[in-house]
Amino acid sequence: MDDKLNVRQLVDAHKGTVKPAIYIDQDIYDLELERVFGRSWLFLAHESQLPKAGDFFTTYMGEDPVIVTRQKDGSIAAFLNQCRHRGMKLCHADSGNTRAFTCPYHGWGFGLEGGLSVVPLEQEAYRNGLDKSKWGLVRVPRLTTYKGLIFGNWDETAPSLEDYLGDMAWYMDGFLDRREGGTEVVGGVHKWVIDCNWKFAAEQFCSDQYHAPYTHGSAIQVLAPTPENKSDGKPLGDGQTQRPAWANGLGGVQFSEKGHGSAFFFTEKPDANVWVGGEVSEYFRETYPEAERRLGSVRALRLAGHNTMFPTLSWLNGTQTLRVWHPKGPNQIEVWVFCIADKAAPDSVKEALKASHARAFGPAGFLEQDDSENWVEVQKVLRGYKAKQTGFCVQMGLGFEERRKDGIPGVTNYTFAETAARGFYQRWVDMMTSETWAEIEARTKEYQKELVHG
Amino acid sequence: MDDLSAKAAASAVYKVSPELQHEVEQFLYLEAALQDEHRFREWLGLLSEDVRYTLSTNTLAQVRDRRRGIAPPTTYIFNENKYTLERRVARLETGMAWVEEPQSRTRRFITNVRITGQAGDEVRLSCNYAVHRAAKARDHHTFYGTRRDTLRRNGDSWIVVSRELELDEFVLVTANISIFL
Ligand code: FES
Ligand SMILES: [Fe+2]
Repeated sequence: MDDKLNVRQLVDAHKGTVKPAIYIDQDIYDLELERVFGRSWLFLAHESQLPKAGDFFTTYMGEDPVIVTRQKDGSIAAFLNQCRHRGMKLCHADSGNTRAFTCPYHGWGFGLEGGLSVVPLEQEAYRNGLDKSKWGLVRVPRLTTYKGLIFGNWDETAPSLEDYLGDMAWYMDGFLDRREGGTEVVGGVHKWVIDCNWKFAAEQFCSDQYHAPYTHGSAIQVLAPTPENKSDGKPLGDGQTQRPAWANGLGGVQFSEKGHGSAFFFTEKPDANVWVGGEVSEYFRETYPEAERRLGSVRALRLAGHNTMFPTLSWLNGTQTLRVWHPKGPNQIEVWVFCIADKAAPDSVKEALKASHARAFGPAGFLEQDDSENWVEVQKVLRGYKAKQTGFCVQMGLGFEERRKDGIPGVTNYTFAETAARGFYQRWVDMMTSETWAEIEARTKEYQKELVHG
Repeated sequence: MDDLSAKAAASAVYKVSPELQHEVEQFLYLEAALQDEHRFREWLGLLSEDVRYTLSTNTLAQVRDRRRGIAPPTTYIFNENKYTLERRVARLETGMAWVEEPQSRTRRFITNVRITGQAGDEVRLSCNYAVHRAAKARDHHTFYGTRRDTLRRNGDSWIVVSRELELDEFVLVTANISIFL
């Protein structure tokens, strides 16, 4: 145990309390960059964004800028977006296609595979000789793909992505594996800034179904399906069950494991949220049989609910929004939002999806606006001396954790619960206070065992 | 008949009468004032039934790709028709649109109004805009951009048939866009 910042005193997952210093303290944030973002599997890009050799996409791992590239042999590599000469940011484009990356400062050129290949005036300037083989770009040492998503990890000792995901893979498959051919990103990436700590956003998508009826009350009211509602030529949410999903008596589930979380309500029909376009809801119904063959009925029917893969990758089924909460200091995030569609979907459905995705969860989205507003206002209050010390309540459903016998895996609870939030913060503490992955895994396992003894 | 679909600025001034210029500008100011005064239902009345209202993201591309006409893909921020614009207004009216609760104050500035074409009863124009928004005691946001509008004559006034907005930000620096630009 190495708890130099005493974070174990700030989080008590057993009792369900959190001290808000974890959201504002600079020292804690700096340690997060090292121990959480420096060791976790982080989403980089979707394979569909890099179809050809030389294609690149620039993003961040924690606060480190990285370039993800498609190599000549078809493989994918990622590098720190930092010139090895004097640290200039090498590539300033969002994405593109190139044979090499040339630094704007003194012109060093790096190949697609990261090697230093061009040094201007090399003969004249480096009379002492420069060993170019030693000055290639810093490579992200661990890189792997999972059903189209590309992940990187700075830590050579980290477990495999599959071990890191655990049962979260089962929930992720329900989003990525509905149809033959997998998924792709439709359109560009929404990017915007929210002045809040990254954990507010990540935790909400991990665990918080509870906010939806109230925070999103306005959107739920005005986007309800009506015959006049023909925004995409077909009424929004055409033909879907109208009553709130939690009132249908079918129940639901929240999942928690290794810091990840997911929750949804069971439905009779494959119903996406009412705010998707009519063409989209129709598509989900038409393709249900294929999804059911691939995934079974529980996951095929699931077209709503929230998910976070620890620490910062979140998505919503049905609305098809996938986002990364890039940390920018303790008090800010940059949100990057991707719209995910089945590759096999017709173009008209992809276009309708792109429109309904922006309408609900773009920066001007009917639902998105209210989420960001909550986090910003919580963060502002935390400037207060007293506010910083006032514990938060994370006790919903405490003690009702179970392991189900119907094949739905992991530690579970009812949909309205904070089991996944407690698991998220416990995992965070375990990473913040452990020097090795063996310790992290042992501590998380111990916590989960206590939770569902027997 | 002039081309109403050109995106780039023409290299010569398109000549119109001072009366038309004046009439169009006054209409744009009226529309802006209705929004600043939160008279959104009246504002909706100035939009045609087939109105298109769009804003897409911006991207950063390297010069080599720009020359080859390759650009990172964009996506919509707004992709609205009359129905969804009306629903956005309805959302504000619920009293539960928390981002606009309590209500913000806005001020819209419209400049560089250039009529760029006319066809039948429609005029095409471009203008620059600035919108200042004050909210939640001390939040201030400013949105700068340009837009291309098509207006259709409606008796002795106009209605908006299309508004293609551009916003001069790559990564938006506001937490959300809760107003019309
Ligand atoms: S910093 Fe890149 S070439 Fe000098
Ligand atoms: Fe939400």
